[in-house]
Parts: sequence; structure tokens; C-alpha cells
Amino acid sequence: MAEKFKLDDHERETLIFNRRMLVAGVFIFLLISALVTWMVYLQVYRYDYFAARSDGNRLHSQYVPPNRGLIYDRNGVLLADNRPIFNLTVVRETATNLDVSLDLLRSVINLSDDDIEQYRVRQSRRAVPHTSVPLRYQLNEEEIANIAVNQHLLPGIAVEAQLVRHYPFEQMAAHAIGYVSEINKDEMTAMSAEMAANYRGTHQIGKTGIEKTYENLLHGEVGYETVEKNNRGQVMRVLDRTDPVPGRDIVLHLDAKLQAAAAQALGDRRGAVVAIEPSTGGVLAMVSQPGYDPNLFVTGISRAQLAELNRSGHTPLFNRAIASRVPGSTIKPFIGLAGLYNEVITPDTVINDPGYFRMQGRSRPYYDWTWWVDKSGHGPIDLRRAIYQSCNTYFYQLAVDLGIEKIHDYLMTFGFGRNAAIDIPEASPGIVPNEAWKLENRGEVWYAGETPYEGIGNGIFQATTLQMASAAAAIANHGVLKQPRMLRGTIGNDGEITDVAFPDNAAQKQLLPSQEQIELVRSAMVDVVNKPYDSEHRRHEGSAYPVLRESGRPLEYPMGGKSGTAQVVQFQVDAAGNRDDSEVDERFRTHAMFIAFDASENSRIAVAVFVENGGGGGSVAFPVARAVLDAYLLPEQEYQELSAVSHGH
Amino acid sequence: MASRGIGRPLGNDFYRLSGRRGVLRGRMLRIDAPLILSLFCLAMYGLLVLFSASGENIADVERQGAAIVIAFIVMIGVAQLEVEFFRRGAPMMFVGGLGVLVIVLIFGSKVNGAKAWLDLPGLPSFQPSELEKFLVPMMLAWYMSKRTLPPRFRDLVVCGLIILLPAALILLQNDTGTALMVIMSGVFVVLLAGISWRIVISAAVLLMMASPAWYIFLAQAHQKNRILTFFDPYRDPTGAGYNIIQSQIAIGSGGIQGKGWLNGAQSQLDFIPESNTDFILAVLAEEFGLLGVLFLIVLYLAVLARGFYIAVTAQDTFSRLLAGGIILTFFFYAFVNMAMVSGLMPVVGLPLPLVSKGGTSIVTLLAGFGILMSIHTHKRVLPR
Repeated sequence: MAEKFKLDDHERETLIFNRRMLVAGVFIFLLISALVTWMVYLQVYRYDYFAARSDGNRLHSQYVPPNRGLIYDRNGVLLADNRPIFNLTVVRETATNLDVSLDLLRSVINLSDDDIEQYRVRQSRRAVPHTSVPLRYQLNEEEIANIAVNQHLLPGIAVEAQLVRHYPFEQMAAHAIGYVSEINKDEMTAMSAEMAANYRGTHQIGKTGIEKTYENLLHGEVGYETVEKNNRGQVMRVLDRTDPVPGRDIVLHLDAKLQAAAAQALGDRRGAVVAIEPSTGGVLAMVSQPGYDPNLFVTGISRAQLAELNRSGHTPLFNRAIASRVPGSTIKPFIGLAGLYNEVITPDTVINDPGYFRMQGRSRPYYDWTWWVDKSGHGPIDLRRAIYQSCNTYFYQLAVDLGIEKIHDYLMTFGFGRNAAIDIPEASPGIVPNEAWKLENRGEVWYAGETPYEGIGNGIFQATTLQMASAAAAIANHGVLKQPRMLRGTIGNDGEITDVAFPDNAAQKQLLPSQEQIELVRSAMVDVVNKPYDSEHRRHEGSAYPVLRESGRPLEYPMGGKSGTAQVVQFQVDAAGNRDDSEVDERFRTHAMFIAFDASENSRIAVAVFVENGGGGGSVAFPVARAVLDAYLLPEQEYQELSAVSHGH
Repeated sequence: MASRGIGRPLGNDFYRLSGRRGVLRGRMLRIDAPLILSLFCLAMYGLLVLFSASGENIADVERQGAAIVIAFIVMIGVAQLEVEFFRRGAPMMFVGGLGVLVIVLIFGSKVNGAKAWLDLPGLPSFQPSELEKFLVPMMLAWYMSKRTLPPRFRDLVVCGLIILLPAALILLQNDTGTALMVIMSGVFVVLLAGISWRIVISAAVLLMMASPAWYIFLAQAHQKNRILTFFDPYRDPTGAGYNIIQSQIAIGSGGIQGKGWLNGAQSQLDFIPESNTDFILAVLAEEFGLLGVLFLIVLYLAVLARGFYIAVTAQDTFSRLLAGGIILTFFFYAFVNMAMVSGLMPVVGLPLPLVSKGGTSIVTLLAGFGILMSIHTHKRVLPR
């Protein structure tokens, strides 16, 4: 019985267990079904979504910046190239403990607060996540080694090679070429969406000069690279690459040798020299002194460096070549042309110069420079002599006879009063006043008494050194004005230079007297330099001739020119710079000007020189202008010997 | 039931029932070929995935391979033991297990925040709590086999103690996942023992009602976090939700066919954390796709089916309950890992059986299957 009960019990237990196993089996079936359904949902139904997410994890597009186009001078000398440097960079997303890393970096490399501050600025305007931002530029080998040793303690920090702009001539051509520097916030916001996309990989942008003007040509097109990165942001492989299109190499009209000669001729003096090829308007040289080293700006100038630059008070960053000034007597030839064109005078018109000009109905005379020498004048004087003797009285009279409106209208066609340069947008337009201008800009009516001063370039009229050079080039070019330009052409992939053809309609607008009259003015300017003393007639020599004679070196080529001396404060000073103002504080001394040109039939160069507080145009600016012409016109060897001699002094 | 064991002549019936008595005697080995075969396939599949998941680290694979070899030896060794050995030894082993757990609490070393590891000199470190996965079912099976089924309420209190004592010790080790599994392994035995559905449903309702209270008053911050993350992984996509998001991306992007062995972008580029341990399924699913996952599930089901067969054909209550408990625990183990890695469940730290890296897990699992084989191969004739 007991045995029987046990057997029953056993069967019952088996039944219970088997039923429970069945229930478990059903549960298991349900759970597995749910799991399989879920897997099918994830792996089939949502495959596309997750595949995209997976690719998003590992695939990163990065921008490959194009190499910036090189800048060559007219002889193939490199003015701006690209040089590899090694930068310390940070990827913020992977730099888990940046402050600690920065502290460590500070102890192993030279890393200033300024660097860190600049980094934070760059970081704040970085557009693309997970891309690196420079922390410090131009690591030296020792620093690279120190970083490599500590690399494991510096997550997200790397040393990256980068090509950056380099200006081999340093400060010599800074103002002509300009520089690139880091793209700032304003430039970023000003960019079109298309342009911003093209600058995704680019750190620097042209800020001034050629670099800015031809940014579009020089920059090129950004490339793309799809890379596979692991969870720590390391690039495992490059999957796809669209190469960037490098920027165009460009050729300027600039002549590096001439540029150097002009800078050397100017020496330590503040001022500017602009040389132009009359037949093309091409700028052969553009010097502004003091200069600065544009390389400082490429990777971001530090506060200390900027302060150092500005400490002199001589504003090295200011481009004097394209800043407008009162031109002094250098304007006289153009006033003369205005008179001829408007038939107010003829080449034969003679006036009498008693040493001053007296306006009708006014008691106060306008003095000629001769008055300050010996209280006398030039006597009877015609246009030619008025130019080479720089007679003020003649031009007072002429200005009054023309009237300010005609002067204005005429000078406007000669590249004054507007920025006629094709590709120097930063240039000042200068000022060509008339009644309307004065009313608008000064809120005053035109006083008749102001007009005479406009005749001698010591009134309201202002022109840049560039404009003066361009106007001089027009005369050298027998009257025909060419708009000044920097760019000569671009270099194609085949290395061939393609000249750019700028639309240039300056000549069509010009108001020119007869060719004969133009040649008269041109030759009068040749007399300025060349006309020697005439023992029979007083004051018949060229105003710059004494300086030429004193140099003891006769000209080896035909040269025309015109000196000018601009008042800084209201002194009545002569146009030839003969007044002794050495007692005057340097800052209040007159500005010395000289325009000059190669006076051969096919003139090759015209130049304008401006020496800030230099004194007299003839004595100070003329030798500079001559040195520039020497550099360009003399045979190479002869010039070398010459500059060796002058350097010896 | 005086006569037990294999040494005794049991008459012709025995030969008829076992069908292989004579053969076994010649081979001396008591093994179950279908079970060994499916387990072997699983282990090999696991090694294949592990090689990829550990970043083609052959040393890892060798270590795992060694663990597998040891585990198979242990399994076959255990299979040679009499069922009687387990029945008689159950209380002792249970108490011994508790003792080891206490020792771990005192002397254990900490890995990943859980003080669950014992470093014995000269031996690879191991996790004694893993043993509880079959010590608890064994103890329960022993206890139940002494009672008449279905268990009464009084029995349940004892069962509760048997389950909760080791579970509490494991919880103290800060190893919630294993504790949960130990509890479940016990619960399975109790369920299989035929506990009244009324009690089961009441308990389930009670648990459900208690869970908000647990969440509010008892749950620790990281546990709450895991649950919140389960409901919305994107509330902290780079922190708490990162694992599950990356794991789902890996699984989903595997598609039907997978990206190919060693070609999983998520796996090879280190986007999946714990890719060679708890989250190894993500690697498998990414590289072998849905087909690979289904193959894994089929292998698990093959083991499961054989386990079911062994449990159902077992001859006494102890064997049945023990076999049923072990096989259900095994399934639950695999299921919870797969559900957690694919985002069907909150994350609990559990390896994928036989696939995840980890020697202790494999050895203990296969020791459990050794018990299954022992149950299957040590059959007696039951008088009818």
C-alpha cells in the first residue's frame, strides 16, 4: 500500500513537473519570439537608420585646405610662398581635461597666456565640430620632442604640420603685398554661405594689399577627405578624397629689385615711393616706410609684438603710399595742362612775377618763394619756366584765371579725387575740391582767396603718392593715363603666364590739350632736372638742377621731374625747399615730394617720392627718385657698383 | 528504494531502459553527445566572435580557449559523478558555497566595482558567486525531493531562505546581475516544483506593486539611472546611454548578413564598450548580422531542447528539478544578456553564456551541464 501510494505520488510529481516544463517551454517560445522579432526590427526594419548612425560614428569629413597661390614679381622672384610649420592643435571634443593639459604644456613648451587667449578665441569661432584648432604655431624641434614625450598625458592635443604663408622679403614689400592672418569673426559673418564652405579648412585670409585684393584667385578651392576615425578620434584610414584645387599663382608688375632699391633709397626716413610703368600703369614698386614684417601676422601677432610695432609712433602699419597728402608744387604741371586745355593760357602766355601775386580786391599778397629769398620775383615768365622754376606767382594767377571748378573738372580726369587704381582698393581717393565739395564736406562756401593755393598744391587738394606717380606716368606716356594696377597675370598649370586684361578707360575720359602742348609740359619737367645755370639770366635753371649738380654725377638717361614741398603747418615756404627750417620740430617740417620719369620717347618708369617731414622736395626727395630710376634704368652692373659706393658711405 | 547506483545488477529492465549500459561500461565515459556537440559549437562560435571583439588579440582567445578546454574537462568529470553524489552532497555544497561567499566578502578583490573575485595564489582568479547558479537549484531540488510536490507554503519559506541567503551575500558583493540570476535559478526550481499558480500570480502582482516603492526608496542612484536609461537611452547619450546606443547601432547596422568577420566598424573602432564581455552580442550581430544572431539562438535552443529532454526524462524529483533548474537558468542567462544588449531590458552586468570572455562563467556553466549529463547517464530502473 505504501509502495502503491509512493508510485501514485511519483506519477503525480512527474505530471506536475512535466506540465510546468511545458509552461516554461511556452514562455521560452514567447520570449525567443519577442527577441527574434526585436532583432528583426533592429537589423532589418531599422537597418538603414542604424547603418547611417554607424557610418556617422566612424566616418568624418574633413576639409583639406588648398595651398595658397604664390606671388611672383615681374621677373619671377617669389614675393610670397608657403612654408611648412608645426602647430600645436587641440580637438576640444577629445581633450578631456584641457586645463590640466595646458598646465602641463606650459611647463614643457613656451606657451603664453596670450597664446591660450588667442586659442580660446579661435575655438569659439570654430565652425566644424571635432576639428582641430591651433593652440600655438611654429613649434621648434625641441618643443615637438617635449610634446611627443608627454603625448600620453595630453589627450586631444597633437602636433600638426601646416603650410603657411611666408614673405621672404619681410618688411621690404609688406605694404605692396600685404599679408594674410587669421580669419576673424567679422570676416566669417561677412562671407556668403558658399564662400564660408570653401574656407572650412582655411585658417588664414588676406588682410591687406595683394593678399586681400586677390584673395579669390589665391585661395583656391577646399578639398574634402572622408576618414575613418575610431572612438578616440584617431584617423584609421582615408576612405575618400577630393583634392583641393590650389590657388592661382600670380605675377605682379612689381619688380622686387626695384622695390628693394626704393626702400634702400628712402632709408630710415618715413615716406613712400611708388614707381609705375607708364605704358601699362603697372606698379613697379610701392614702398612705405617704416615697414613691418608681414610674417608676424600670418599666425597671429601677439599683443606684445603689436605694441612693439606701434611703440615708435611712426605707424608702420599705415601705408603711406596710398594715403593722400597735400602735394605741393608737384601739382603744377597738371594745373599747367588744365590751363592749356581750357585755353586760359597758351605756351606763349607770359605774366610778370614781382615776387608775389595780388588778387583783385585783396590787399594780402600771395608770395612766390623768391620773395623769401631776396624780396624779388621771376619777372616775365611763361609756362615752361614757371614749371622748371616752380614759380608760384604764375600758378596763383593761372588758378584764379581757371577758377576752382575748371581745376576740379580737369584734375578729376587725371586720376585725382578718386581711386583710379584697378586693384588697390585700399587707396585713398584723395581730395579734389570745388565749391560743392567744400559745402558738402566742410559746410562752408568756397572763398575766392583759397583758389590761388590750389594752383601750387598747398590748398585743400590732396593726392596719394600712388596718384602722383600715376599722373607723372601719364605725362611720361605723352599724356595718356593708364590706371595703376598691381596684377600682371596668372600662371597656369603649364607654367605659362596669362596676362590679365583689365578694362581701362582712363584715357578716354582725359581732357588733353594738343600733343604739342603736352610735350611742352613734359619737356619743361625735363628742364626741372636738367636745365643748368644760365649766367646771363637769373633763375633760369631747373629747380632740381642744383641738387643734381651737387651729386657730382651727371644723369645717364633722360629724366623729367617736379619737386614739391608741402606745408605741414602754415609757413610760407618755397617750393624748392630752400627755406631753412632745421630749427623747426621734426614733426612740423615740410613734407618733401618729387615726381620723376624716364623721359625717353618710350618711357619705362615714372616715380613719385614722398618723404614725411623730409624738408625740401628738391634736396631730399629728388635723390630718392633718382636712385629709383637708376636702379631701373641703369645696366645691372653699373647699378651694382653705384649702390656699392653709396652703401660705403 | 534501497538499491541505487550503477554497481548493482538491476536486471534486464535496466538494460532495456538505458540501452547503452554495456557500451558505457566499455567506454567508461558517461557523456551526452548531442549536448556536448551543441555546447562545443557554441564555444567555437564564441571564440570566433571573441577574436574579433578583442581586437584580434590572440592572447585573449588562447586564454578563453584554455578556459573552454578546462570547462569541458570539468564538465565531463562532473558527468562521471553519481546523481546520488549531488543529492547527498547538496546541503554540504550549499553551506560550503555560502562559506566561500563570506570569505569573498572579506578577502575578495574588486573588479568593475563588484567585490566578487577570489584571488587564490597559483590559481586564476575566479568568482565563487557563479557556482551558486547551480548550488541553489541543487539545494532546492534536494529539499523538494524530501517533500511531496507540490510544495506547501511552509516549504516556500524554507525555499525562500535557501534562495535569499546566497543572493543577499552576492548583493553585498555589489553584483546585482549575478544575485538576480541566482534568485531566478531558485525561483525556476520552485516554479517547476509545482507551486500553486495562485501564489505565483500573487507574488508577481506583489512584486509589481512593490517595484515603485523599491524604485523610490531603495534603488541606488546607478540603478535608477540604468532604468531611466533603458526607457530613454538618449537622455544621456554620451554617458549612461552610450553603451546601449552604440550597441544598438552595432546590432542594427549589421543588417541581415552582417558586415563580415573582423569588419564591424562599431566593434573594430572601439565604439562598443565591454565588447568582449557583456556586450559581445553586439559584435556578433554587427559582423554576422541577423543570420548570425539566429544561428546563435538556434544553438542555444539546441542546448535548451536537449536540457529539456534530459529534465523531462529524468527519473526522480531531485534530478528533474535540478536539471530543469539548471537548463532554465542557462536559458534565462542567455536571454537576459541578449535582451539587455539589444535594449529590450535595462542593463545588468551579465555575460553571454559561452561566448563572452570570462573563464569562471564558462567553467561553472559547463560544470552545470556536467550535472545534466550525469543525470542523463546515471539512470536506474524504476520499478513499475
